[in-house]
Amino acid sequence: MVSSNGMLAIDARDVEKTFRSGWFGRRQTQALRGVSLTVARGSIVGVLGPNGAGKTTLLSILATLLTPDRGRVLVLGHDVVREAAVLRRRLNMASGRPSFLWSLRVGEIIAFYGRLYGLSGARLRRRVDALIDLCELGPYRRVPYSDLSTGLKQRVALAKSLVNEPELLFLDEPTLGLDPDVSVRVREHIARLRREQGMTIVLTTHYMREADELCDEIAFIKAGRILSRGTPGELKRQIRLGEVIALRLDPPTVAWLAEAPGVLRCVEADGWVECTVDEAEKRLPELLRALHNDGVVIRNVQVREPELEEVFVELAK
Amino acid sequence: MSWRNELLAVWAVTLRNALMGSRNVFFFFELLFWPIVGVLSIGLMTRFLELTPAQASFVLVGTIALSVINVCQLEVAYAVLLDVWSKSLKHQFLAPIGIRHLTLGSWLVGIVRSFAVFVLLTVLGWWAFDFEVLRPGWLALGTFLLGCFLTAWVVGVAVCALITLFGNRAEAFAWASVNLVLVLAGIYYPVSVLPDSIAAIARAIPLTYFLDAYRSYYGFQSEFAAPVATGLALSALYAVLAHWAFLAAIQRARRTGLLLKMSE
Repeated sequence: MVSSNGMLAIDARDVEKTFRSGWFGRRQTQALRGVSLTVARGSIVGVLGPNGAGKTTLLSILATLLTPDRGRVLVLGHDVVREAAVLRRRLNMASGRPSFLWSLRVGEIIAFYGRLYGLSGARLRRRVDALIDLCELGPYRRVPYSDLSTGLKQRVALAKSLVNEPELLFLDEPTLGLDPDVSVRVREHIARLRREQGMTIVLTTHYMREADELCDEIAFIKAGRILSRGTPGELKRQIRLGEVIALRLDPPTVAWLAEAPGVLRCVEADGWVECTVDEAEKRLPELLRALHNDGVVIRNVQVREPELEEVFVELAK
Repeated sequence: MSWRNELLAVWAVTLRNALMGSRNVFFFFELLFWPIVGVLSIGLMTRFLELTPAQASFVLVGTIALSVINVCQLEVAYAVLLDVWSKSLKHQFLAPIGIRHLTLGSWLVGIVRSFAVFVLLTVLGWWAFDFEVLRPGWLALGTFLLGCFLTAWVVGVAVCALITLFGNRAEAFAWASVNLVLVLAGIYYPVSVLPDSIAAIARAIPLTYFLDAYRSYYGFQSEFAAPVATGLALSALYAVLAHWAFLAAIQRARRTGLLLKMSE
C-alpha cells in the first residue's frame, strides 16, 4: 500500500494500544488512545510528554517494534503491520538507554548490523570507518561494549542507527545522560542529518531546549492522547502563557504592579520583578509610563517569550 | 531479498555468535568440562557393571549424542538468549532479519562447536574405554551426526520460541529441554524398555531413530523399519513446526510488548 500523500513520512490515524498484564491479562494499561500524527518528509518532529505518556509506545509502533490494536499507520508509504519487512530496511532507531552484546567491540557491533542491512566487504568497512569517525569513536573501536561509558554507548547506538542511511530515524531520548558538550555535538549532528541528507527524524526528549532548537514541530502527548501540536512558537501561543516583562527597578518592589491592567502575575527573583502579561507589545509602554509617573527608576528591562519548559509544565498539569 | 543478502544475514549471526563464544570463559565449561565429566563417569560405570564392549558402546553412543545435542541446541538458543541477556533484542528485530537467519546462523556455530565436542569425546572414549566410533563406517557416522545436529536445531528453535513467548522466565528451558530428550529418546536404554505410553512419545522423537540406526552397527537389533528415513522426515516436520512457533511467538511479542520489555 502506498500513501496517498507522498510528502508524508508518517501518516498515523486513530492509533490505539493497550497493554495487558497479570493473570488472564486482567490488568490493562491504555498506552495510546486514538493518536493521530502526520510527519512531513525531511522534517524533525519532537514527541514530548511526561513519563508514561505513551511516547515510546508511539515510536515503537512507528518503528514496527509493536503492533497497534487499532488505527491505520503508514510509514514511508507502507503499512507498519503488513509491510513491516520492507519498511525495516528504510528506517532505524537509537535510544538514550542503549544495550548491545557486552563482549562485542565497537567496530564489530556496527559491522554486525551493517551486514544485516546488506553491507559487505569494502563497502561495509568504509561505512563502519565513516560512522566511527562521525561519532568520534576512533579510540574506542576495539573496546568491548561493556567497558564503555554511558556517553560512548549512546554514540555507538547513534552510529548503529545510521548504518543503513535510513530515510526515517527514530531517536528516543538521544542525549539522555550525556555531557553538555557531547549533547551539543549530537544535536548539531542531528540537524546536519536533516540538512544534508534530507532525513526525517522523530525524536522524544525531556530537554526542552533540545526540542526548541531542533524540532520543526512538536506533538505534546499525555495519557495516550496528543494534547497539542505545532511549531515551538505556536505551542507557546496556544497555551496562552503570556509573555514575561522582567524589570530591574529602584526601589526594587512596587506594590501596585501586580494589579496593573494586563498583568497576569508578578514574581520577584534575584532583584528582578517578572511580570507575566497578556501582550507585551501593548503592556510594556503602559507599564513604563506608569512606573515613570510614580517616580520609580527603571534600571533594566527585558522581554521574553515563555520557555518551552513552561509550556510543558502547563500541558502536563 | 536476494540470495546474497540472505547469506550475508546468516553470516552476520554466525560471526556474532562465534565472537561471543570465543570471549566467554563459561562457554569452556559447556564445551569441555561437562561433556568430559559425562563420558568419564558413564564409561567408568560400564566398567563397574562389567558390560560387554557392545553394551558399553551402546551407552557411550547415547552419552556422546547427548553432549553433542546439548552443545548444539544451546548455541541455537543463543540466537535469542544473548540478546535477552544483553537487553538488545529490539535492535535485532528492528533490522531486516528473519528467524531463518537467526536459527541457521547460530546452528552453523553450534555444528562446529558440537563437532569439536564429538571428536574430543570419541577420542576420550576410544582411549579410556576402547570405544570404536568408526565401526559403523563413515556414512553411518555422518548420518548419525546429522541426526544429532537436526535434533539440536529443532530443540534450540523450540527453546527460542518459548523464551520469546514467556520472556526470561523460560530461560530454564534452554538447559532443561535436553534432559527430556535424555529420558524419552533412549539415550542409555532401548525404547522397548519404556512403558507403552512413554514409548509412543519416544517414537515421536527423531533422535530415537538415529540412535537406533547407529547402534544397529554394534550388533543391536533395530527396533524400527527405515529408522534414518523416519528420523529425517520427523526432523523436517519438527523444524517447520518449531520455526512456525518461533515466528508466532515473535509476532505475539510485538503485539504484547514483550519484545520491548526484554530490551533496553
